[in-house]
Amino acid sequence: MSAPLLEVRDVSVRFGGLQALDAVSFDVNRGEILALIGPNGAGKSTLLNVVSGALRANAGEVRFKGERIDGLTADGVNARGLARTFQGAEVLRAMTVRENVMAAGAAHAGASVVQGLAWLGPARRVAASLEAASATHLATVGLGALAEASAGSLTAGQQRLLAVARALATGAELLILDEPGAGLNATEKAFLADVIERVRRQGRTVVFVEHDLGLVGRLAERIVVLDHGVRIAAGPPREVRSDPRVIEAYLGNAHIAVARTGGAARTAAPLLEVRGVSVSYGGSIALDRVSMQVGEGEIVALVGANGAGKSSLLKAIAGAVEPQAGAIALGGEELRRVPAAARVRRGLSLAPEGRALFGSLSVRDNLAIGRFGRLRAAGLRQVLWPSGAEAAALEAAIEDMFCLFPRLRERAGQLAGTLSGGEGQMLAIGRALVNRPRLLMLDEPSFGLAPQVAKEILEALPRLSGQGISVLLVEQNAQAALQISDRAYVLVGGRVAAEGPSAALAADPAIGETYLGWEGAAPDAAQRSAPVAVAT
Amino acid sequence: MKRVAALLAALAAVYFSGSGYLVNLAVVTALFALPALGLSLLMGYTGQISLGHAAFVGLGAYASAILAKTLGLDPWLALVFAVVATTAIAWGIGWLVFRLHGHHLAMATLAFGIIVHVATVEMKGLTGGQDGLSAIPPLRVLGLELGTDLAVFPLAWLACIGAILLAENLIRSPAGLTMRAVAENETVAASFGIAPDALKRRIMAIGGCYAALGGAIYAHYLGYISPGPFDVGFSIRLLLMVALGGFAGIWSVLFGVVFVVVTSELLKPLGRFDVIVYGVLLVVVMIYCPRGLLDGFRVAGRALGRRFAGAAGSGRV
Repeated sequence: MSAPLLEVRDVSVRFGGLQALDAVSFDVNRGEILALIGPNGAGKSTLLNVVSGALRANAGEVRFKGERIDGLTADGVNARGLARTFQGAEVLRAMTVRENVMAAGAAHAGASVVQGLAWLGPARRVAASLEAASATHLATVGLGALAEASAGSLTAGQQRLLAVARALATGAELLILDEPGAGLNATEKAFLADVIERVRRQGRTVVFVEHDLGLVGRLAERIVVLDHGVRIAAGPPREVRSDPRVIEAYLGNAHIAVARTGGAARTAAPLLEVRGVSVSYGGSIALDRVSMQVGEGEIVALVGANGAGKSSLLKAIAGAVEPQAGAIALGGEELRRVPAAARVRRGLSLAPEGRALFGSLSVRDNLAIGRFGRLRAAGLRQVLWPSGAEAAALEAAIEDMFCLFPRLRERAGQLAGTLSGGEGQMLAIGRALVNRPRLLMLDEPSFGLAPQVAKEILEALPRLSGQGISVLLVEQNAQAALQISDRAYVLVGGRVAAEGPSAALAADPAIGETYLGWEGAAPDAAQRSAPVAVAT
Repeated sequence: MKRVAALLAALAAVYFSGSGYLVNLAVVTALFALPALGLSLLMGYTGQISLGHAAFVGLGAYASAILAKTLGLDPWLALVFAVVATTAIAWGIGWLVFRLHGHHLAMATLAFGIIVHVATVEMKGLTGGQDGLSAIPPLRVLGLELGTDLAVFPLAWLACIGAILLAENLIRSPAGLTMRAVAENETVAASFGIAPDALKRRIMAIGGCYAALGGAIYAHYLGYISPGPFDVGFSIRLLLMVALGGFAGIWSVLFGVVFVVVTSELLKPLGRFDVIVYGVLLVVVMIYCPRGLLDGFRVAGRALGRRFAGAAGSGRV
């Protein structure tokens, strides 16, 4: 066997206090299809950026065909025969489909500015060869008929195929595809898989990052699994799939001290009702007729793999995206056409993924901003100089937060931008709570945090429900979420695949497979569309 | 080619109209069009802002004037040296500033424009300071001095049409595609093997070349230059010309230049307050006609037509 095409050796990357990659090594052999998987925040994108020249590693080396390519610029890496695509496909919208592919091949074909100014023989020959090549590459990905369409008008699936055609046009031997299947429906994914296999038959090597394990299982000959910046497994799909470390990485394993009791009794009156909500972004379906409820004082967990539609559901409830179909009601009141800010006043608070703190404001000011809506409603004077009952209520609410998260009290005057990840998350939750919401929505509160801190945050949640606040929790650490919540919904591919009391879901061994979506590897789609009913 | 033929016909009509005023306006248009075209390549097609483009015009004008007057070089030779030198300087400035993006790039190019302007004011020994340089030897063709509107008209438009044709070539060539890729998304362009900064430097050099050519012809044609015309205000006016043309579009930018030249004639009674009108115009165009004034007219015309047709239709019912 010949030397590997790509060698990644002990690559480490640190972002401030976060070890994004920790001595990761693996090889890519010529002509194979290799999948790079791992839960959110595992370091896949970081690794991809290091390999493609967008990011410099702190340690380790990357070799392509034996030559070191770490330290080269992105265009230098591409010139050596390695092309990448991007998570969002990133088509050039101002151009036609054909022009996208031609632009991708231009540098490889030797287009130059001076030649272009003269527009004599050489430039015309380059243009003609680019045009011919673009037709070939578009035919490979099945977009031949859309060559003259504007790239922005393509559906999400077509845009991803265009990204593949562009990568082919750069003349690369190694294609690295970043989530090629994200947002595609089953038909489009099947077509994408055909295209990737066709590309491989042309003698190219393919590495792809993917969250849809069904697609991974179908395509990949080898799988490399990352978790928290560490390579935890590598091998053929059969081995990786049954590797306990891989299952643990996806489902989490936190042990929460505060167990929920008497969950069933709490489900009396539904506070939030979601009925048949569908959301799609420019042709890519994020939610498909999802229905769910959150009762008064209940903690409900929403679990599912990346791209399952969890954040889209939260955004639809918060009013950040308008659903194409379905209805959402809070306390019996229909929320359609109620703007996001007005929903906050009605008692919905969202602590968004990534926290979105005001880094240049102090901790106390960040908390106070969470109450802006109420202060403003009490009059302009209250915004300028809170006084009287409003000021007292504000102080009381902030004091509550300091009781909930004592660490924030110590840092009341500190700028939010200087907080650690865990403190920042506490502040984000606190800011959402200062408004005294009826429903608190948390998007990945433990994301990127050390287990101990994540535990501290999750353990604070039952105290809230004791105060009558309902919680809707989106969490990738499914085990932890199931321990802390009363009920849970499992989303797979934008649909509710399972629902029931958390304890029952946690105990069901079939849930692991459902959650991970492996069964998509078997081509019986009927099984997938039927929700798994869990006995209550 | 049809457009070039139409342009030539219009120019011939102006040239033989016998109106010295029109010929003068046409010469001014050609000399402004050169830097505006370069700026359009940089801003419209490559997506890089420059608020100091007037500096390259100034550098071209001063370099050519000083070489011809102080060193006694043949004016043609001085012009060629000035253009080559400014092209190299533009490339070097590109090497400095294109590590910046967005607002920072705008600030850096603005600063560059101010520095060059201040230098022309303060380096009195070389540039004559505020008094400027006078008695710059004119260009000569077969013993004919190109010092009058009618005499410089063919040269100015030859340069301008040449610049238009070269720019059109560039846009249509594969290199033009790489420029548009860089304008839309540098990260993606780099993933195609395009080195974005190197490309930007080259386009900046072309812009410097065009601007210097306009400046140098201007210096020898007027015979007198001072720092005033090459200040930041001129950079903003160039920006306005390109914005009126919708940034990307060689011919629509030419329209933008004509529009600004004609408007500035109409604004003469306002004196120095004309800047206010330019500012308002720039804001209005950016908000309401982001694809340029011509496109704005087209959209408005279509909307009016539809309303008219709709009113007529409902009238019948």
